[in-house]
Parts: sequence; structure tokens; C-alpha cells
Amino acid sequence: MDKVWAVIRREFISRVQSRAFVISTILGPLLMGALFMMPILLAKRQTAARHVVVLDGAGGDFGRQVADRLRAEMRDTVTHTIPRYRVEYVAAAGRLDAVRDSLVALTGLRKAGPGALDGVLVLWDSTLATGKMQYDGANVGSPNDMNALERAVRPLVIGARLERAGVDPDVVAAAQGKVELRTERVSQGKLTGQSGDASFLLAYVMSFMLYLALLLYGMQVMSSVVEEKSSRIVEVLVSSLTPFQLLMGKVIGVASVALLQLSIWAGTAMVLTTYRLQVAGAFGASPRTVSDLPIPTVSPAMLVVFLGFFVLGFFFYSAMYAAVGSMCNSHQEAQQSQTPVTLFVAAGLMLMFSLLGEPNGTMAHVLSLVPFFAPFVTPVRYSLSPLPWSELLLSVLAMVAGLVVVVWIAARIYRVGILSYGKKPRLAELARWVRTA
Amino acid sequence: MAEAILRLDGVVKRFAGHTAVHDLSMAVPAGGIFGLLGPNGAGKTTTIRMIMNVITPDAGRITLFGGPVSRSLAARVGFLPEERGLYKKMRVLDHLVFFGELKGLTPRAARTRSREWLDRLGLADWSSHKVEDLSKGMQQKVQFISALLHEPELLVLDEPFSGLDPVNSQVMKDVVVDLARQGRTVLFSTHIMEQAERMCDRIVIISRGRKVVDGAIAEVKRDFGGSYVALAFGRDGARAAPVLADRTLVAQVDDYGASAEVRLADGAAADQLLARLVSAGVGLTRFEVVEPSLHSIFIAKVGPEAATAPAKEELVHG
Repeated sequence: MDKVWAVIRREFISRVQSRAFVISTILGPLLMGALFMMPILLAKRQTAARHVVVLDGAGGDFGRQVADRLRAEMRDTVTHTIPRYRVEYVAAAGRLDAVRDSLVALTGLRKAGPGALDGVLVLWDSTLATGKMQYDGANVGSPNDMNALERAVRPLVIGARLERAGVDPDVVAAAQGKVELRTERVSQGKLTGQSGDASFLLAYVMSFMLYLALLLYGMQVMSSVVEEKSSRIVEVLVSSLTPFQLLMGKVIGVASVALLQLSIWAGTAMVLTTYRLQVAGAFGASPRTVSDLPIPTVSPAMLVVFLGFFVLGFFFYSAMYAAVGSMCNSHQEAQQSQTPVTLFVAAGLMLMFSLLGEPNGTMAHVLSLVPFFAPFVTPVRYSLSPLPWSELLLSVLAMVAGLVVVVWIAARIYRVGILSYGKKPRLAELARWVRTA
Repeated sequence: MAEAILRLDGVVKRFAGHTAVHDLSMAVPAGGIFGLLGPNGAGKTTTIRMIMNVITPDAGRITLFGGPVSRSLAARVGFLPEERGLYKKMRVLDHLVFFGELKGLTPRAARTRSREWLDRLGLADWSSHKVEDLSKGMQQKVQFISALLHEPELLVLDEPFSGLDPVNSQVMKDVVVDLARQGRTVLFSTHIMEQAERMCDRIVIISRGRKVVDGAIAEVKRDFGGSYVALAFGRDGARAAPVLADRTLVAQVDDYGASAEVRLADGAAADQLLARLVSAGVGLTRFEVVEPSLHSIFIAKVGPEAATAPAKEELVHG
């Protein structure tokens, strides 16, 4: 056991001391901080009101109502509340097309100075009847802007129609009171205080971290095997410890490096989210807007599930990467040969995305039991919607069973592979290695 | 020969296409230096890999310290493989400590001994450098240290001197001789006969996987038989040619230009040759009746076969 420990320590220390590890460990939190600050900084920057002309081709009250309504629209930024629009009203009954053309010519022109328009909202005679209006603008590509515009105008159209039909204006106003849907996640029969957006974000970020860590550190196991094989260090190693001990030491050593890095990242994320009010405040954001940001809180149980499946998945895949490495004589060869394994990792990520919409469907249930995909699917399902303990346990059992099989096969390939030089084995030959090793 | 530390009995190793080691039996007595000699591709490295339990024989038995080969004996054996390899990114001292630990040393003991050895082999200043910063010769010394750090009873060295300059070669030779004097056993393979002749107590020569010579050096020379004379010419070596070509006097010549080693024909006496050479006026600077050199024994035993030896054995996989 002392020897396995020596291998673990060597893998761990030589990696943690490497420049690549230090840089990526520091870059991770920096990136996270940037992700956290980005919305605040962006919101601060985009504070200019949209300059919009309401072009009324109908004449009458409705056009003015729209203009007034837009003038009253306010926008909450992270720091303060400002008018959303700078509005001008142009009555153009009868000469609509000509005026529209001249206004469009001013739209989106920076050099026009303060006279430049962001857009023109065109109301026709028929607008009230058909509900159709036209917005010609430079900002039509922004879903946020378009939604806000529609949200502002829709009640006016409905109100005008109702009034026309003889409904009391007061009733109309009351009927149009705001409806607000707030979401909060329920887990294990308890409210979590977490919004739907937040748990989605958490699942998304976690599966991506899992994917990156599996890929990067799995490859490290592979290149470590290739290094020992191509430099023949492995001959000295296997004269002192069994190939299986060597494989275990290597995988555990690299896994601990990965866990160290992930916990540094997770720790940073927790500090950032726990003290988000203070951190955001330092950037000039108001507490209320920060609490609206979809920032998830990570419960200890979720952390356990996530890390547990990461470790299982890592052993599962890095055993395969080690087997691939043992078949190859050089790093280039290994790079070419690892594609099948990497495809499974990538497929796991893709499938996970496809399940985000329906985390409790049949497909999701089945995939949680497939060891290749369970490391991605199960923790994400767990973070999205409550998962009964029985199902979680079943997924873990399936994962462990798959792990035993894969490690058994990989260790046999590894045992023969690390001492075989020359041409890469074909599948039939591999099968023979597994049988006879 | 009673107390053999290592014994091979009828060991066979086949690889796809050919037999690398064929029915090899040999015994390495405890203490002293044992040479495993043979031309390239003779099966030396394959034999050593089997002794080190890197690969297993297809037939036959290997007995180490009186029992079967096993990893539990790793602490008692040191191994320098033929292919030199170290972790390029590791620091020299860390590297040695790691290998020491694999052989059962505590990290503290491994560290102390590594420092001592680095000092002794003139690498003290390099202990905190990365392996990749070292020259090839220095790396070879580091690997050499890693083989003997745990003070093994048996040290197995595969071609330990290849690729070393004379100075480093001398340093390593001194260490090996010193270890043998302390009562340890050194088994090393080489195809450089002069080195083996000067260092080894016993040798085995194998060729194409078969043993062709086995015994103590003196024994081997005696059994090889014949009278040998070493010659050196001062003035005109060319005048010696007709004398050396006389088959009633000289059976075989190993000609080096300014010197030569000759085997006398049966029934010919050394003083007859001396008289003929003096009268030919070749300007003798050396005339000495000698034992046959290991080199000439080697050439005589494996010469014709060695020329057709298969490609480097290390390239064959199994």
C-alpha cells in the first residue's frame, strides 16, 4: 500500500506544482467572477433611453395614449431607475408613407447626434381592429427590447377595444392589473427558496464543469500512461508493484488533483454567491436587483451528489483513457486513439442538455442507469427536480457495477499494453489481451 | 556454486515469429560480478526482463533468493533497464525519493541516501533541477542511483556503460566494483568484451537465445585452449605479414595493424615465432605469451552467428 501511496503522491505533487495547474486554478475563479459581474457592468453601461417616434397614421386618441404610455415606462437597472424611452409623437394621417420614409432615414444613424432614432412605431388606421402595428428600428434584434415594447403596448390595444365595446374604463383598468409568476423550487417536500432559473443555471454550470474535468483530467491519465510507457519507466515500476496498483495509484492521484481544483472553484463560487450583496455592492449595484439575479445556492446534499458522481465518472472514464494510453507508443498516437472514449463523454453532455427540458421523462430514467451517461444525467436531474432516494441509489449502483466491469477490462488491457511495443493492437488482439492477461 | 542467488532452469521465451530465449539455464552465485554477454539481439534484455518479472517465461523456472520471482522481492533487487527513462518534469531529488519509496524505503531515508549518492557522483548541484535540464550522461547516473539507492543484494544492470563517456564510465565502474567488494551481487549485460573481461568473475555468453559459454573467466579461458601471443610492432608491421601467414606456425590472427593477437598452430612453440619475427626485422615492441582474450573467445564462439542475428530484440512485442 505504501507503494500505491507513493504513486498517488507523485502524480498529485508533480501535477499540482505544474504551471498549467496553477494558471487554470486561478483562471477559473477569475472567469467565475467575470460571469458574476458581467450583468451588473453591462446593465450599468446600457442606461441610455431608447429614442422612439410614435408615428400615428390614424389620428385620434389612441396614438397619443401609446406615446404617453411609452413615456411612463421605466427601466430598472442594477443601480437606478430611469425612463425606458424618449418619445416623440408625430401625427401623420394621410401622409404616413412619406413621413415614415424620412424618419427611417434617421434611424440608427450615430452621426445624426441627438436627432438619431432607435426606432419608429407605426400605427395604422386598422391597428385597433387588427392589433397589427409596425416597429422599424435598429434594436429589433434585441428580444428584451421587443418584449418590453410589446408588453407596454398590448394592454392599450386591449383596453381601447374593450372601451369601444362599451366596458367601463375603470373596469378595464382594474382587469389589466399585473399578473406575476414567481417560481420556487421544491425539493424533498420543502421549499428551497431557489428560483427555477437558478436551478437551471446550476445544472448547466455543473454539467459543464463535469464535462471539462472528465475530459481534461482523463486525458492527463492517458498521457501519464504514455509517458511511462514510451520512456520505459514502466519497466522499473512493474518490477516493484503490480500494473493494477500502478493504475490505481495513477487514477487516484489525478482524481485528487481534479477534486482539489474543483473544490477551489466551488469554494470561490460559494463565497461569491454567499456574499453576493457585498460583492455586488462594491460594484455599485443595489441589493434589490442583486437578489433578483438568478444565482443558485448550492446545498451540501447537492454537492455530495455532484462530487460523488464526478468521482465515479472519473474512475469510469479514466480507466478507459488509461487503457487507450497503454496501447499506444506515442502521445500523437494516443491523441488519435482516444476519440471513441471522448465521443462518449461528449454524448453524455449532449444527452444531458436534451434532458434539461424533461428531467423526469422515460429517457431521463433510462439514461440515469447507463454508466456511460449517468455521471452527467443524474446530478443534473437531481439539481433540476426532486429525485427519490431509491432512484438515486439505483443510479449509483448501476454506476458502480459499470465501473467494476470497465476497470476489470481496462486493467487487463493496461497490464499487457504497457509492456507491448510495436504496432497498435487490433480489436481481435485486444480481446485476446483481455482473455489471457 | 551451492549458494546461487539467482538460478534459471530451462527458461524459454517465444515472441510472435521467433524464440528469443531458448532453454537457458544459468546460476549466479552470491557476491561478485556476473557478466551476461552476447551480441545485439542475443536475448540478453529479454532474459533480464524475465528475471525482473517484467515479462514471464513461456517455460522453465527462475529462482531468486531460493524462491520464485515475485514483486515482494523488489526491495532486495535493483534494476537499471536498457532503455533509459525518467520523468522529464520531475526534480532529480524527488525522482530518486519516489523510486526509493517504490523499493520500500521511507521518504526520509530515501532523501538522505539520494543526497549522499548525488554527492558521490558529482550531481549535488543538480538535485533540485528538473530531469530534462540534465545531460544524457547525468540522467544515466541519476537512473543508476535509483537502481541501487535501496542497497539491494542483487543489482541487475542492462548495458550500464553504453552511451557513457570514459570519465563517467570509470565512475560507474568504480561504484559497481565497490558494491561487489561489499559482498553484493552484480549481474550486468554488455556486448563490450574488454569491460566484461576486466570486471567479471563469471560470465555467460548467449547467442541467438542459446547459451554458448558459461563459467568463471579463468575457467572459460583455460577450456578454450590454445596458446596465444600478443604482439606489437614498432617499425614495419607489413614485414610481419608473411610470418603470420605461415599456417604451420600461426593458426589464427586477430590483426589490429600496429598490434596483433595470434593463436599458435598446434605443435608450434612461441620461441619459434619470436625467432622468425626477429629475423624478419619487424621491430618488435611487445611479445608476450597470453591467455586468449574474451574478445577472441567471443568471436570464435558467436562470430558467424552474430552476423545474422535478428533485429533488435526490444522491438519485438509479446
